[in-house]
Amino acid sequence: MISRYSAEIGTATLTAGLGLAAVIGALEFGIGWGDAGPESGTFPFYMGLLVVAASVGTIIQATVGRKGLQSVFLHKEEAMRVASFFLPMLAFVVVSLLLGLYVATALYLAFVMWAQGKYRPVVSIASGIAAAVGFYLLLEFAFQVPILKGPLEAALGIY
Amino acid sequence: MENFASLLHGFGVALSTYHIILMMVGVLLGILVGVLPGLGAPNGVSLLLPLTFTMDPVAAIILLTSMYWGALFGGSTTSILFNIPGEPSSVATTFDGYPMARQGQATKALTLAFLSAGFGALVGVILITVLSTWVAKFALRFSSPEYFAVYFLAFASFIGLGAASPFKTVVSMGLGFAFASVGMDTVSGGLRLTFGFNELLSGISFLIAVIGLFGLGELMITMEEGLRFDGIRARVKVRDVLKTIATLPRYWVTLLRSAAIGCWMGVTPGGPTAASFMSYGLAKRLSRRKEGFGKGEPEGVVAPETADHAAGSSAILPMLALGVPGSATAAVMMGGLMIWGLNPGPMLFIERPDFVWGLIASMYLGNIVAVLMVLATIPLFASILRIPFAIIGPVIVVVCFIGAYTVAGRPFDLWLALAFGVVGYLFKKLDYPIAPLVLAMVLGDKAEDAFRQSMIMSRGSLSIFWSNGLVTTIMLIGLALALGPILSTLFGRLTKPKASSAVA
Repeated sequence: MISRYSAEIGTATLTAGLGLAAVIGALEFGIGWGDAGPESGTFPFYMGLLVVAASVGTIIQATVGRKGLQSVFLHKEEAMRVASFFLPMLAFVVVSLLLGLYVATALYLAFVMWAQGKYRPVVSIASGIAAAVGFYLLLEFAFQVPILKGPLEAALGIY
Repeated sequence: MENFASLLHGFGVALSTYHIILMMVGVLLGILVGVLPGLGAPNGVSLLLPLTFTMDPVAAIILLTSMYWGALFGGSTTSILFNIPGEPSSVATTFDGYPMARQGQATKALTLAFLSAGFGALVGVILITVLSTWVAKFALRFSSPEYFAVYFLAFASFIGLGAASPFKTVVSMGLGFAFASVGMDTVSGGLRLTFGFNELLSGISFLIAVIGLFGLGELMITMEEGLRFDGIRARVKVRDVLKTIATLPRYWVTLLRSAAIGCWMGVTPGGPTAASFMSYGLAKRLSRRKEGFGKGEPEGVVAPETADHAAGSSAILPMLALGVPGSATAAVMMGGLMIWGLNPGPMLFIERPDFVWGLIASMYLGNIVAVLMVLATIPLFASILRIPFAIIGPVIVVVCFIGAYTVAGRPFDLWLALAFGVVGYLFKKLDYPIAPLVLAMVLGDKAEDAFRQSMIMSRGSLSIFWSNGLVTTIMLIGLALALGPILSTLFGRLTKPKASSAVA
């Protein structure tokens, strides 16, 4: 169980970190006055500073109003539901990069239908393959936009 | 009257069979993304945009704007029938629309919503027709400091008019600017903020950010809430529709007031969401039947819908005439214009009048097409929500990632989209506004160029932003808006979306 307070602090720390990254990254390119006006780091530097300052503001606001933020941010049950959606999605990205988007689409759809939709394996696999073929026809022929492919397409001689 | 002549010319451009078919396709796709959870107008336009790169700009913008109208209508449909706002801007429609539908008045609620939405959109388009040339002419006097002041004004109004904590708005906006500055620096041509990653050399596309923040983030929220569609079956009967049309004039005060609120919030970047809440709040406060609100009061449907669509369409005005979009979707479209090689702003009216007036004329036609199509196809689209989420959810995920890949054909963008999805989930849950981030990513380079050119003009002195009457006025309005949180506390209580704290 995560309280709203810790979620607020965690997110604000994350944004402050991103702001800080912009500040540090910008310093490398100079924040002063160059031959052509302000150097290229100037704008990101001040934007980064602004993000850091506002993140600190959020942290202070959350800490001051801490009592009002003791509510639950994420129940265990909710967390499970988010995870059951997020993890297959993460796997989809990894598989896409290894085997291409079409194969990953078929696998991902089949898996989610079987594991979460409680469909029979045959139905799930058939739907996954049908969807992948559908996307293939739509993208490669109708819109002529080639997308990421993997070893299977290469073996089948599809480019 | 030169606007009228230009508009007639615009109808000449827009009225062709090809364009009408595009409008219908766009509206249908729009209703689809509006109805589906996780896909909304900004996201839908982002997904479609890479596929329009090879199209003629006029045809492409007609397709995209029609999709926008369709999405707005689709969003209201799910609000009324399922109590699930398909779009953030149609949250206020659920307050009275869903109770009406439960009382067996679904047709009445839907018809009222579509007609008042159509009215709002029409007022927005008329505003654009009347004002755009004038605004564009006025903007021709702008140079870099004035442009920077206008950008400042746009972001200041997010802080002042938004319902979120000002700190969170600033964080969202600042991150947008920081992301926009990754990659090539447009002034010096050098690279920056790549941290040694080759993948970051070409920058972070705002389209990837929109797909992640609005699409994947929204889906994660939907999943977490556990999806239950308690749909109400609606058969749109022609007789009920006609009867409802006859009652519409009764709400003329609400219609006009809501349209005015919508136009104001659309032109300033308050956006459709803020407009619909503000309009609902005012309608409730000023109504003689206050106690009926929340229990199925027709006025409670008319008010947010009119304002939502008035804001949605009038958001195109500042985008076209100034190059400052008034909503997240308008920001995405403006990014599209820049990709097609068009430069939004006053010069567009001089260089490409056919494009500008073709677009404006298509907005009249597109909204009429949208109202007709939405009335005809609603039962069909409502049935989409009865498909189990175990099928539709993964399909939406796949569409989002394929969309992310088609933006530039870079595998790395899949990771970026996923990361933005997580950020979008956190931001939504913690009430960070997302629109400022998208707007900042689209406007980042332009705002920075305007700032740096101003600095070169003044040799590094900030006083250039107070150097003449025009720029001083804009800066002062901006400062007043940024420091005027009184307004936000007034409406803050009402507009705060159901936070997770309310569930616990």
